[in-house]
Amino acid sequence: MKKRMIALVLSSAMVLSLAACGGGGKTDSKKASSGEKDEEQYINTYMVSEPTTLDPSLRSDTYSSEILISTMEGLIRIEERDGEYKIMPGDAETWEKSDDGKVWTFHIGKDRKWSDGEPVTADQYVYSLQRSADPATGCPNSYFVTPILNYDAISSGEMNPDQLGVKAVDEYTLEITLTNPMPSFLESTDASIFYPQREDIVEKYGDQYGTDADKMVYNGPFTVDEWTHNSSIKLAKNDEYWDKENVDLGAVNYQIISDTSAITNAYDSGQIDFISASSQEDLQKYESDDNNTYTKTSGGNITFQFYNTKDKIFSNKKIREAFTLAVDHDDMNDMGFSGMREPLYGWIAPALTVGEKSLREEAGDPLKDLKSDLDKSGKTPKDILIEGMKELGLGDDPSKLDVTYSLAGTSDWFHTFGEYLQQMYKETLGINLKIDFSEWGIFEDNLTNGKYQIGFMSWGAYYNDPYDMLSVNMTDFNQIYTGWSNEEYDQLSKAGSIEMDETKRMDDYVKAERIFIEDYVTCPLATSVSHQFSKSYVHSKYVDYGEDQLYFAHPGWKNVYTSGR
Amino acid sequence: MFKYTIKRICYMIITLFAVATITFFLMRSIPGDPLASMARTLPEQTKANYYAKYGLDQPLFTQYLMYMKGLVHFDLGESILYAGRSVTGEIARTSPISGMVGGTALIIGTLIGVVLGIIAALKKNRWPDYIVMFIAILGATIPVFVLASLMQYVFAVKLGWLPASGWGKPSNMVLPVIVMGFGSVATYARYIKSSMLDTLGQDYVLTARAKGLSERAVILKHVLRNSLLPAVTIFSSSVVGVFTGAFVTEKMFSIPGIGFYYVSSINNNDYTMIMGTTVFYAALFIIMQLVVDFAYMILDPRIRVSSGD
Repeated sequence: MKKRMIALVLSSAMVLSLAACGGGGKTDSKKASSGEKDEEQYINTYMVSEPTTLDPSLRSDTYSSEILISTMEGLIRIEERDGEYKIMPGDAETWEKSDDGKVWTFHIGKDRKWSDGEPVTADQYVYSLQRSADPATGCPNSYFVTPILNYDAISSGEMNPDQLGVKAVDEYTLEITLTNPMPSFLESTDASIFYPQREDIVEKYGDQYGTDADKMVYNGPFTVDEWTHNSSIKLAKNDEYWDKENVDLGAVNYQIISDTSAITNAYDSGQIDFISASSQEDLQKYESDDNNTYTKTSGGNITFQFYNTKDKIFSNKKIREAFTLAVDHDDMNDMGFSGMREPLYGWIAPALTVGEKSLREEAGDPLKDLKSDLDKSGKTPKDILIEGMKELGLGDDPSKLDVTYSLAGTSDWFHTFGEYLQQMYKETLGINLKIDFSEWGIFEDNLTNGKYQIGFMSWGAYYNDPYDMLSVNMTDFNQIYTGWSNEEYDQLSKAGSIEMDETKRMDDYVKAERIFIEDYVTCPLATSVSHQFSKSYVHSKYVDYGEDQLYFAHPGWKNVYTSGR
Repeated sequence: MFKYTIKRICYMIITLFAVATITFFLMRSIPGDPLASMARTLPEQTKANYYAKYGLDQPLFTQYLMYMKGLVHFDLGESILYAGRSVTGEIARTSPISGMVGGTALIIGTLIGVVLGIIAALKKNRWPDYIVMFIAILGATIPVFVLASLMQYVFAVKLGWLPASGWGKPSNMVLPVIVMGFGSVATYARYIKSSMLDTLGQDYVLTARAKGLSERAVILKHVLRNSLLPAVTIFSSSVVGVFTGAFVTEKMFSIPGIGFYYVSSINNNDYTMIMGTTVFYAALFIIMQLVVDFAYMILDPRIRVSSGD
C-alpha cells in the first residue's frame, strides 16, 4: 500500500499544484512587482505515473484528472478568490435551480467551442452523462452520477440510459433533474465525469478513444498536443477556447518521472519547475533556498487505522477505545510519518466545508476531547483495555491478547512503521502486537472477507461535501469493511446530504461524526500534506504560489504565468 | 543439422507453452481477482459487464483456453489498467525503445570491455591491468540506481551539459547508455581478461610463437579469436538483459521502454500486461538460447560435432 499511498500523496500534491491558482489580490508584493510576464510562457513539470486514459467516462486515476482539468471545460470551474471558493463560469454562463432544489438548468455560452472548431452544445453533455451511466461503459466514477434521477435503475440495467434525468432543452440549455435535492450538487459538477463528450469522436475511435493525444477533442484552456506514453505529455494553448485571452501559458510540458531521486535531479538541474518534497531532508533543503517558493497544502486526505467490529476481540467497544486512545498523534506523526503530515483528531478531513465553514473547525477535535476525558477520570487506556478483556472473559493480561495489525505494503517504510506500532502498543497497552504485511490486493481481499483485526489505510475526499467521507461508513456502503452499522449515523448523514439549510446541515454532519468517533470504529491518525516547491518565477494570477490555498479549487494551469524565468 | 533445428524449435514451443500455462495459473492463484481494486466501486451491472469484457465471468479452465487461443494468434488481450490498449501493441511500442537504448549500450559497452580486457591480459599485474580491474569491480558492484543518480547529479545538476531524464532527443540517450554500458564494460573486461590468460597458456600459442610469428600476429590470429568464444555465451544473456534488466535505468531516466512498463504493470496489478510481458520475455530468452547454440556451431567446429545428430 505504500506505493499506492505515496502515489496518492504525490498525486494529490499534483492536483494541489493545480489548486494553486485562483484568489484575489496579490499579497506578495515583492514578487508581484518583480517584473513583467516573460515573453515565452511555458511550464515544465512532471507526474509520477502515466494517465490511464483521457476518456472522461473511463478514467479514475489522479493523473488523467490532472490533464483533463486543464484540457477540458465543464459546466463550471471552482476557483479561489479572496480566500474563498468561487464558482466561475465554465461552458455554462449562468445556471439556476428550481425551488425544490431538484432541477438544475445550465445555460451554455454560444461562443464555447471544441478544439476542432465545433460548438459545445447541451446534447454533448447529455450524451456524456448517459454514456457514463450506461452499465455497458463500465465507468468507475459513476459515483458522481448517482444523484441524478433514474441513475440507480439504469445502472442495474432496468432502464435505458436515455432515461437518465438529463435533457437538452435546446441547443444551449441543459437541464439536470436529481432524485433528491443535493446542496453540493453544483460543486460536484466540477468533476471530470461532467465534462461534455462528442458522440462522433467517441464512435470514430471506439475503444481507442482517449488513448492518444489525437484520439480526443478538447474544449478546455489547453489541448493535449503530444502524448508519448510513459514518457511525456505536452499541452498547448487551445486557440478555440472561449476564455483564451485569460490564458497566459503557451505550453505545459509534463515529464513522467517516477523515481524520487530522478525527480530531485530533474528539479535541481532546472528541467522541471515544480517538485513535491517527500522527505524531511528535501523539505529542509528546498525551504532554505530562496529560489524556491514553498506551497503547503493540506486537508483532503486522511490516514487512519480501523477495526473489524465483527472480530471477536474488536467487537468490544472498550478494546477499540483502548487501541484508539493509546495513540499519541503527535508522536506518531513525528515518528511514523517523519513529520510530513499533520495530526488529525476527527474523521472529516480539514478541507471539507459546509458553505464557507470548515467542518473540522466547527466540530473540534473529538479524539482530543475523549483523551482528556479519560485523563480526567484517572484511567489509562490500559485500564480500559483490561475492562474490555474482562467483559469478553479474556482475563486481565494484555500480553496474552492475540492481536494482528494488517498493513497493506511490504516495503521498508511499512516495516519501520510496523515496528513503531509494536513498540507503541507494547508501552501503552502492554500488548504483543503482531504485524501482517501484504500487498494491496491481498490486503483488500482479507478486508472484504473480514479476515483482519486492525487495518491501516488512506482515504481522500472526492468533492467538497462532508457527506462524501461520512457515506463511506454508512451501512449500505461499508467501504472500509469495518462491519459497523449505526442507524442514527446513517440517518444523520443522509439528512445532512439533502438539507439545504447550512446550519442544520453542519449540525447533522457534526453529530454523525461524533457518533462515529465515540464508537471507536476507526482511529483517524493524520491528514496528508503536500509540500510543493516551485521555482520563484512561477506565478499564479489570483492566489500566488506560496500562499495558503483551498483544497478543492481546480483551475488547472489556466491562471498560471511565469515572470523572470 | 536440419533435424536438430526442428527438434530445437519443437522444444522451444513446448517450453513456451509451459511458461504461459504456469504464468496463467500463478497469476490466477494470487488472492483477490484481477479486477478487484478497479471494480470495487462499480454498481453490480457495470461490474458484471466489466468482468465479461475480460472473460472473468467464465470458469477458470475456459479462461485458460481463451488465453491460450489468443496467444496462438499473438493476441495477449487488453491491458486492465490502460483501457483500449492491447498488450501486444504495448510490447511492440515499448520494446524497440528498450532495444535501442540497451542495444547501443551493449554494443559500446562490449567493445570497450573487450578492448580493456585485452589490455588487462597483456599487461597483467602492471598498472593498466590494475586500472581495468578497478573499473571492472566498480562496474560490478555499484548499483545501477546509484550510478544513474550520480551521473544525473554530475552531468545535469552540476555541469548542466545533459538533461537529467526524459526521452525524445539524442542527448537523452547519453546518460542511460553510459549507465547501462558500464555494466557491460565491467563484465566483458573480466571475462575477456581471464579467457585471454587462459588462451595465452595454450599449446597452440606456444607453437605459434615457436614458429617465429610476430607477437602481433599471435595475439590477433590465435589468441583473440579463441578468447572471444566465452564472450558469445554471455552476449546472449546480455541481449535478453537489454530488454529485461534495464528497468531500473529506464525508471531512473524516464525512458518509455518495456522494462519500466513491466515493473509498473506489476505495481499496478495489471494482470494481462504482466502475463503478456512475462511470456514475451520467456519467448525472447528461448529464442536467444537457440541463436547462441547455432552461433556456437558456426564458430566452433568441436561443438558442431558433439551436438549435431
